[in-house]
Amino acid sequence: MEDKVIEVNFGPQHPSTHGVLRIKVKLDGEIIMDAYPVIGYLHRNAEKLSEMGAYPKALIYIDRLDYVASLNNELGYVLSAEKLMDAQVPERAQWIRMMLVELNRIASHLVWLGTHGLDMGMLTPYFYCWRERERILRIFDEITGSRLLYNYFAIGGVYSDITPKAIDMIKEFLSDFGSKLEEIQAIFAKNYIYVKRTRDVGKLSLEDALSYGVTGPLLRASGKKWDLRKNQPYLYYDQVNFDIPVRQEGDVYARFQVRIEEMRQSIKIAQQVISKIPEGEFYNKKFSKPMLVRLKGTGDSYVPTESPKGEYGVYLVGDGSTIPYRVRIRSPSFANLSALPIMLKGYKIADLTATVSSLDPVFGEVDR
Amino acid sequence: MNLFFFLMSILYGLLKFLHINFIPYTWDGYPVGLWIAYLIISAVEVILVFAIAMIVVVILVYVFRKYMADLQNRIGPNRLGPWGTFQLIADVFKLLQKQDIVPANADRLAFKIAPYIVFTPVILGFILIPFGNVSILNLMVTNFQYTVLFLVAVMIVSPLGEIIGGLSSHNKFALYGALRSAAQDIGYEVPMMISIISIVILAGSYSANAIVYAQRNLPFIIPEILGFIVFFLAMIAKQSIPPFDLPESGSELVSGFSTEYSGMRYGIFYMANFGFMALASFVVATLYLGGWEGPFSLIPGLVWLIIKAAVFMIIFLLSWIALGRTRVDQFLNMGWKYLLPLSILNLIISTGLAFYVGGWF
Repeated sequence: MEDKVIEVNFGPQHPSTHGVLRIKVKLDGEIIMDAYPVIGYLHRNAEKLSEMGAYPKALIYIDRLDYVASLNNELGYVLSAEKLMDAQVPERAQWIRMMLVELNRIASHLVWLGTHGLDMGMLTPYFYCWRERERILRIFDEITGSRLLYNYFAIGGVYSDITPKAIDMIKEFLSDFGSKLEEIQAIFAKNYIYVKRTRDVGKLSLEDALSYGVTGPLLRASGKKWDLRKNQPYLYYDQVNFDIPVRQEGDVYARFQVRIEEMRQSIKIAQQVISKIPEGEFYNKKFSKPMLVRLKGTGDSYVPTESPKGEYGVYLVGDGSTIPYRVRIRSPSFANLSALPIMLKGYKIADLTATVSSLDPVFGEVDR
Repeated sequence: MNLFFFLMSILYGLLKFLHINFIPYTWDGYPVGLWIAYLIISAVEVILVFAIAMIVVVILVYVFRKYMADLQNRIGPNRLGPWGTFQLIADVFKLLQKQDIVPANADRLAFKIAPYIVFTPVILGFILIPFGNVSILNLMVTNFQYTVLFLVAVMIVSPLGEIIGGLSSHNKFALYGALRSAAQDIGYEVPMMISIISIVILAGSYSANAIVYAQRNLPFIIPEILGFIVFFLAMIAKQSIPPFDLPESGSELVSGFSTEYSGMRYGIFYMANFGFMALASFVVATLYLGGWEGPFSLIPGLVWLIIKAAVFMIIFLLSWIALGRTRVDQFLNMGWKYLLPLSILNLIISTGLAFYVGGWF
């Protein structure tokens, strides 16, 4: 039987590996006998580089981890650094952070949805997802000045105040994104071919998910009601009203449903937040720009946050100097990817792309 | 030079096929002048059909790109020529300039010949379509008794080219593409042939012209609706466009059987794809919608045929743009569990129709 097995390398240059994932697959005909993900093709030494400059300087490396959800990355670092320094953050800044993070979550899920469609052979939904994401990027452009890597959250607040024009843009986006999302969802969910291909594919049981440290939409699709925004609230998530979507099946279609529903909940959160943003300072005066490079931290801190991919957090150790002693990034994509082999075993080659894309791995984050 | 040899081989094959031997006397007593005239007309017709096929392909590629762009919030080609109409010409020139790369361990001859095996049947198929009639002259290159049979034979050849190309590439993805191509072929070809046989039974002839004449009163799509569904799905699978683009499957097997192809060899695969889409639309329009026959005889038959074929082309394009990909096992399930029984049921129905109300058709 052994000589019937063909070993195929998927990647690192392959159209549907979402970056530079390489999967060594053992195939018996069309059936996957074994899969072994190989990572490290996008390693940029982000952790060590972050330990070489002042605390705020690490933000540009943190930005580049999960490059489709930069603000979520920044939030994890900034919250951790503020805990390390016992920094007080003005309320306005916290609410602004919350709103932008939710918008970025929508943008990240839209990127996922579009590329997932491409992986399933559907060319068209990709462009609809990009069209909606473009509106979010324009909002970010208006607020932060850049479209992809923002470097906007600062220790002690945010770098610039939010403008009335941006508020109008956000309100306009939130008012009609819901109906657009319905349309995009219908392209997938009402398509018999798509549903047939994703039901009972790439199954991950709850026990496996928990033992591999899988978090985020994957865990919720496997039946665990666990969302750090509810379970360990940070920012002001305990003051807003939203639900956690949970599915029991643990297959690709359940992940699709969970992510779509999460986008709806993000709209709901952002709509509540936008009416709650108070007047006031947008940064703590003690952390004004000339002060930033002189910040000192002692001890250690870790604030887990719910990024679009799962539990994301930065473990910081300060030795009393202006440079962090240790920066350790807990990236959800890395942990989620480790569960890939058990999700692939026994399925077909065509399910490989469906399963890999359902993980939503971003390799800036996996390789760090 | 390759293309020249290719055209010459097509021409030579056609002449052989038409029983035209290069001998200075006639075989059945006709004067030599008539024979020469016949030869010239045949040559003109062959060139004409090749031109028609190429023009249809060029138009189809342009429409595909613009239509797809329109549905996807894009502009599509808009740089070269009016409304970007010359884009394909530029693309072909770009492909012609490219280096002809053959992988190191590939089977060189098989690798080089495979695109032509895929492309030749498309042109051969076009000579079998009745394009209409001018007074008493049929616009058809070959009008012999077994046109439909020959059409089926021709259409079966092109997947062989895909298999040869995939196997000779010395690439695992190409190998998988070839295997999928083989699996897919046996999945749809049997039902496809059975549904063609039903048509032959109803029309009482293998000739495409007779089939068109038989649909004067009632297009076969009405009594043969099951056969039409089977044949149409088989045609989608035959072109390997979504939802049945398993041999290529862009996201799984990098590019399937054509992974190692580049330059104009890839371009020939690409043109064969669109050429077959055009051919399939013409075939479906001829077999099921009455071909060049139309309700108003004022409009020439060719126009009717093109209108009918255009409907199917748009449906093919929509299927390409809007749908995702099925899995191999799902496709084979569909082929063997649904298409085959459906086509057999259709065969029984049409046999009954031909037996009891035969004169009506």
